[in-house]
Amino acid sequence: MLQTGFHRVKLAGYTGFKSSPYTEGALFYGERLAAGQVAEIISPASEPEPAPLNDPRCEPGGA
Amino acid sequence: MSAELTEADILRVRAGIREKYDRMAAAGVSGGFRYPTGREGMALLGYPLEQLTDFPPEVLATFCGVGNPFSLGPLAPGDAVLDIGCGAGVDSLVAGRLVGPGGRVVGLDATPDMVARARSNLARLPMAPVSFQTGEAENLPFPDREFDVVISNGVFNLTIDKARSLGEAHRVLKPGGRLMVADMVLVAALPPDLGDKVDNWFQ
Repeated sequence: MLQTGFHRVKLAGYTGFKSSPYTEGALFYGERLAAGQVAEIISPASEPEPAPLNDPRCEPGGA
Repeated sequence: MSAELTEADILRVRAGIREKYDRMAAAGVSGGFRYPTGREGMALLGYPLEQLTDFPPEVLATFCGVGNPFSLGPLAPGDAVLDIGCGAGVDSLVAGRLVGPGGRVVGLDATPDMVARARSNLARLPMAPVSFQTGEAENLPFPDREFDVVISNGVFNLTIDKARSLGEAHRVLKPGGRLMVADMVLVAALPPDLGDKVDNWFQ
């Protein structure tokens, strides 16, 4: 997202919805710079951790 | 990853995605997922169901998002919103409710059968500012700086060229516009026997 010009980019969190044992929903945010605005980079250190892999919401069978 | 795909792979991925979502549109959309869908999924994700009490149950039942893009920030009355990969259109209809009659929401999906399903949902819940059309994330059929907010739910992971798709989202946003996305991401390494299979794209 940064490479395509967005700023204030962040991985806001994980949703707990898993489509497989290896994949989970995540929330991403970014803004297009407004005129005269200076790009603001949010530290990746503030990114949250994904849910445990054995989350019970990942049920067998499906897409 | 697109650089590693052959032209035949790309055609196969696109055909596989279209076939899968055509099947889902015909079957009522919400079946076949490993996570909660429909109203239950929306409740778990914190959708503002108290503002959607007039949404028919059969419309809410077609929700199959992986997250809640609206949790990333408010929509203002009058906003112009693009929903990339709208599927059956539930997020577009939610956005329509939030932006109100002075706003504008366009739901875009690559699968014609899904667009038909979204229009069917819209017909059950008429909202003046919402419309649906076919189109692809990599080639958005809109002029530059058209929208205040771009939302998407479980779609960018399906696109072949993710950088191009994000670039297109950036292009159609107004200066200061916001991209609010829920999507599937890898949170653990795939086993070697799964890692390189093109079919994983649309399973």
